[in-house]
Amino acid sequence: MNPLLRLDSVYKSYGDEEVLRGVSLDMEVGDVEVVVGPSGSGKSTLLRCVNRLTEIDDGDIYLDGDRVTAPDTDVNELRRDVGMVFQDFNLFAHKTALGNVTLGLRRVRGMGKVEAREKAMEHLDQVGLGDQADSYPAELSGGQKQRVGIARALAMDPKLILFDEPTSALDPELIGEVTEVMRDLASGGMTMLVVTHEMTFAREAASTMTFLDQGEIVERGPPEQLFDRSERKRTREFLSRITARHGDAQP
Amino acid sequence: MLQALADASFGAVVLQSGDWGFVFENADYLLEGTLTTVLLTVASVLLGFLVGFPAGVVEVYGGRVLRAIVGTAGVVLRGTPILVIFFFGYFVFRFGGAFETAIVGLGLRSAAYQSQIFRGSIQSVSEGQMEGARSVGMSKLEAIRWVVVPQALRRSIPGFQNEMTIVLKDTSIAYAIGVAELLTLSRELFIQETTAVMEVFLFASAIYFVLTFTTNRGLDYLGQYYGIPTEESV
Repeated sequence: MNPLLRLDSVYKSYGDEEVLRGVSLDMEVGDVEVVVGPSGSGKSTLLRCVNRLTEIDDGDIYLDGDRVTAPDTDVNELRRDVGMVFQDFNLFAHKTALGNVTLGLRRVRGMGKVEAREKAMEHLDQVGLGDQADSYPAELSGGQKQRVGIARALAMDPKLILFDEPTSALDPELIGEVTEVMRDLASGGMTMLVVTHEMTFAREAASTMTFLDQGEIVERGPPEQLFDRSERKRTREFLSRITARHGDAQP
Repeated sequence: MLQALADASFGAVVLQSGDWGFVFENADYLLEGTLTTVLLTVASVLLGFLVGFPAGVVEVYGGRVLRAIVGTAGVVLRGTPILVIFFFGYFVFRFGGAFETAIVGLGLRSAAYQSQIFRGSIQSVSEGQMEGARSVGMSKLEAIRWVVVPQALRRSIPGFQNEMTIVLKDTSIAYAIGVAELLTLSRELFIQETTAVMEVFLFASAIYFVLTFTTNRGLDYLGQYYGIPTEESV
């Protein structure tokens, strides 16, 4: 059987700068892959290549066996299957929380008003924001905004959700409410590809962890391997630096 | 004062001299000109919107060739005095009467300015809005239609208010090609009663003022009605 997502030696440069240098990885349905690495290591670019917000230079990406990097791939169709949660939320500023979730259902999936509303409320409830349905993004806290972002992605019933540093723009006390929702999704079987600095989330929720540095996968394996018995000096150094900065990742 | 004017127009005794009396006796005539002014303004601003809004979208999202064409047309129109535009229309191209010429002239020039209002407000919508829309599977066109434009239109209202005021006042230049708008009729009136020149133009000015004032208030209201909470306002 095909893996849900396959990256096959993906290369990407911005000008002279090589951001991704032959990245390959497979994800199965239900996997939670956490990608960590220093800033500028190509983590966000890697995510953005999967739903083709960024185009790769060489290599192939397959979703469910379909080559998404093929020239004739309908990117809009692809993005219906691949949700994305952004660092800066990117919520539609002119829409309420509910409107943010229904807009895609109505305009992309062509759902009727009532049906879209019902489905959107389901997902807002799922992220604990049913009571904020009529609030505009500007009226919500960062944590609430990000949870709306997650509900918006969920509503499209994606096969895979990409999380691009979902908690990096949040005040520390608001991070927990977002990682909690992500943990619920993970245990509910959602396939997730997550770039984050939240090491506690990585340790507890990741099925596989990837350490990316200078556009290359340095090490990939279960989180315990990277945290506790990594044989790579670069991995150990990075993880000890980041856990010192972002709090202890010990369970 | 407005109350006094209103009373006077129903034939009550007038303030001081016979000149005001003359103005109010002919108020119907001036209101006819006012109606023409309003029609001219509405038609021109509407034409300006129908041409200027897509032009603004093209200037942001269009291909290089289309952008160059639209951009050049805008520069030419903005760089030509409105009277010269009227004369080209009326004496050179001669596609219609004075009224039609005035609408097309004012409308196209307004389009050139409105395109800049919309271009600016579209560019002020953050790139993240487009990415958010694309990420749920909207095409670029759908993202523009459902996410960027609704936000850009709201931000365009202050600039649009200015533009509408300018068009309203510049309808008076259609006097030069003989459109029977408010200023043209005012002039005809004071030629008959030359002592009333100040009163006639004060009256016309008052009408222009009331029109610009109510238009601006109306758009203020529109802005509030469609207003959305922003990070600054919360």
